[in-house]
Amino acid sequence: MSKNVFYTIGLLLVLSLAVLAGCSSEQSQSSNNETKTEKKEAAKSEDKGEVNLYTSRHYEIDDELFAAFTEQTGIKVNVVKGEENELIERLAREGDATQGDLFYTSDAGRLHWAKEKNLLQAVDSETVNANIPENLRDKDKEWIGLTKRARVIVYSKDRVKPEQLSTYEDLTDAKWKGKVLVRPSDNVYNQSLLASFISLNGEDKAKEWAKGIVANMARDPQGGDRDQAKAIVAGEGDVAIMNTYYVGVMLNSEDPEEVKVAEKVGVFFPNQETNGTHVNVSGIGLTKHAKNKENAVKLIEFLSSEEAQGKFAEANYEYPANPKVQPSELLKSWGDFKPQDLNLSELGENNAAAVRMFNEVGWK
Amino acid sequence: MKLFRLMKLKMNSWAILSFLITIIIMMPILFITFEFFTRSSENWEHINEYLLNSYLFNTLLILFFTGLLTVFIGVSMAWFISAYDFPLRGFFKWGLILPLAIPPYIGAYTYNGILNYTGVIQSILRNFYQIEVNQKYFNIMSIPGAIFIFSVFLFPYVYLITKNFLENQSASLVENARLLGSNSFEIFFRIVIPISRASIVAGVSLVILEVLNDYGVVKYFGIQTLSTAIFQTWFGMADLGSAIKLSGILMMIVVVILMAEKWLRGRKKYSYSNSKVRPLKPVKLTGYKAWAIFAYISAVFLLSFFIPFIQLVKWTFTTYKQVLSDEFIGLIWNSTFVAFTAAAVIVVIALIIANFSRLFEGRVTNLVSKIVVLGYSIPGAVIAIGVLTLFIALDRQLLIFYQLIGLTPSLVLSLSLSMLIFAFVIRFMAIGYNSIETGFDKIGTTFTEASRTLGMTVTQTFFKVDLKMIKGAVAGGFILVFIEILKELPLTLILQPFNFYTLATKAFQYAGDERIQEAASASILIILISGVSIYIFHKVLEKEPG
Repeated sequence: MSKNVFYTIGLLLVLSLAVLAGCSSEQSQSSNNETKTEKKEAAKSEDKGEVNLYTSRHYEIDDELFAAFTEQTGIKVNVVKGEENELIERLAREGDATQGDLFYTSDAGRLHWAKEKNLLQAVDSETVNANIPENLRDKDKEWIGLTKRARVIVYSKDRVKPEQLSTYEDLTDAKWKGKVLVRPSDNVYNQSLLASFISLNGEDKAKEWAKGIVANMARDPQGGDRDQAKAIVAGEGDVAIMNTYYVGVMLNSEDPEEVKVAEKVGVFFPNQETNGTHVNVSGIGLTKHAKNKENAVKLIEFLSSEEAQGKFAEANYEYPANPKVQPSELLKSWGDFKPQDLNLSELGENNAAAVRMFNEVGWK
Repeated sequence: MKLFRLMKLKMNSWAILSFLITIIIMMPILFITFEFFTRSSENWEHINEYLLNSYLFNTLLILFFTGLLTVFIGVSMAWFISAYDFPLRGFFKWGLILPLAIPPYIGAYTYNGILNYTGVIQSILRNFYQIEVNQKYFNIMSIPGAIFIFSVFLFPYVYLITKNFLENQSASLVENARLLGSNSFEIFFRIVIPISRASIVAGVSLVILEVLNDYGVVKYFGIQTLSTAIFQTWFGMADLGSAIKLSGILMMIVVVILMAEKWLRGRKKYSYSNSKVRPLKPVKLTGYKAWAIFAYISAVFLLSFFIPFIQLVKWTFTTYKQVLSDEFIGLIWNSTFVAFTAAAVIVVIALIIANFSRLFEGRVTNLVSKIVVLGYSIPGAVIAIGVLTLFIALDRQLLIFYQLIGLTPSLVLSLSLSMLIFAFVIRFMAIGYNSIETGFDKIGTTFTEASRTLGMTVTQTFFKVDLKMIKGAVAGGFILVFIEILKELPLTLILQPFNFYTLATKAFQYAGDERIQEAASASILIILISGVSIYIFHKVLEKEPG
């Protein structure tokens, strides 16, 4: 009996090694194939080829759009899904050898960071320029915003009247003591929010704001954006800073309890009378050492097209970056709003300062 | 004389192999250390002033209580299971290992999903009884909450190692004590705890390393620990140098723990004194005693596996229509293939090095065994960077060779699965190694020495004697590593080749976007595959005669 067990384990080991060997040969074969296709591509320009993408966005709609792109153009889209910072580090380490053609992430600050590290190159496409307004593109054309998200004030419909709300700054007022909910400061949406205040109001004001929010917090920052909405309805606090995107997700949740929560909170766009609501983008950039540059630009053009933008708006509760495309009915129902007048590159420039500031004021 | 020379030759091949492996494993760690010295760290002051103290304090707090709780739960479970017979004992014996199948961060999301405002408990209270509860009592996102999560999902490490020891090695001592009239409490505190010290320490050090390295749970709960500090410095301040410095501190803590472990395991060796190991016979319990133990164990099982599992099953039913697709077959294949391969490599390497360091004790061999397990102490993401750097450098070296055989891409190795598997080997070597080392510890060297005296070489002895005696430990190590890799996230996220997804990355795709319900399908599959492996593992151990 024991012998059998022993032999089984031994057999398994041998098998695994065999499979490994098989796999590695398979691997090299597939890379052989890749080379062949590349060679062919060099010989015949009609060959469709592929495009390699590093993305930190985890939405099914992205996969659907890539599939639609492949169907239209015959260009295969290969994807690595990771977390934004790690992907940037990977691109940096790979240097000129990288096989990644595009970097796609949901924060302008991170896009700027990639640019700062000299990982991106300019894309000058007339199609893209026509589709995406200038303020949503990098100054040096190194990245292009594709969808917008607003970081707003969400409030309890029972306990707060929208008239009581005005600005982000107002949340630091003593009347909100113990009532403000927000997630931890390691979240990049919070970092970009504070970075935008540093740009618009200066370091001192921004720090004062962060300090004021910490003083008014209903509880230690915890959880994600959705958890803040739940805490409002549970009565832990009255107002929360969160992205509109998550209210949309919750309203369409499979869980009826989440839908109830989302129905009990209102969305308020702050700073309409002053410097506007904070907007961030998901954006894409062409890598410095892209090997499939043409295909990559075609993919960017496709993603900025009305067709793709319409799908973003419908499926993902994000605001389309292409002004010719209407936001979804839900987003329209929250009304139009005035965004911060800010070149989004600055979110990245001030990111490090924002992180330090959060630590200094004790925003966990 | 001829025999002697032959023996020496064999000895050398073990040594050469061990050193070679150690050097390969050390390379990425060296890359990281290199970075430790090259980068300037202007942020260090800031980290020191605002972060370090409170972060260190939180980390130690969580470590201390998690350690305490896992020892308490793990050892008591191990003792009850091996010494008594009560209802459902046969099931609990392996059922209590099942919590290892649930990745702690999925457990954290799930428990928050159960307890929060929209969770099942509060919605039932609210919708059927109109009871609104104070959120304070239902908030799991705190340091005590994190300690709870770590304790319930990690105690099996202590349970498993201690149980194996007690079942196989405590029989004579415990039975003598029983004969001499000691009651159960005396036996537990005066015999069981002292003799199983080494196993307890081995188990709890795995727990501690796991907790030190966790990022998912503490990040979600908003608790600031050393690992959050590492990521905040790296990503928030774009200062990889300081982040690596922080990892250095983490590594130091781990080295101290490992040293303490060796010391705590003690000078005494409890290895088999004869070849026939007699298992401990459980005493049949009846009446209230049986039910009390049954209730205690059931409670632990419910909290650590059943409740979160049922919740995930329920979520799977509400979301599988939009989530589940043919793609999942590929995910299952990818996950199991990578985990299986890496676990096999780890077991083989661990066997070589553990055998080497056991037979040729000395400072150098000691160092070798320390280095190979160091990877477990370094955050996955940091290891990933080290491995990536190494592989890119390798690819650059091999560029001429690639061109020679007609390959145009400049990155071959670093776009293949071998990079990911290599990283797993570094990261999880400690688990396989610990298990196999404990196995070797148990058998001691007497049989090996006897076999050598009888004229067999080290290698012959290894295959004909040693390996057969520790096959349980080998299988155990293999399966623990397999499960660990199945759950692994940060390494996979950084080092994955194009279009390569696993169940864990799929679960993360949703969980990272706060869609825990959609993450349930992938999580459930991870748990099922791990669960089946745990069952096989249990059967393997059961069949062993002692």
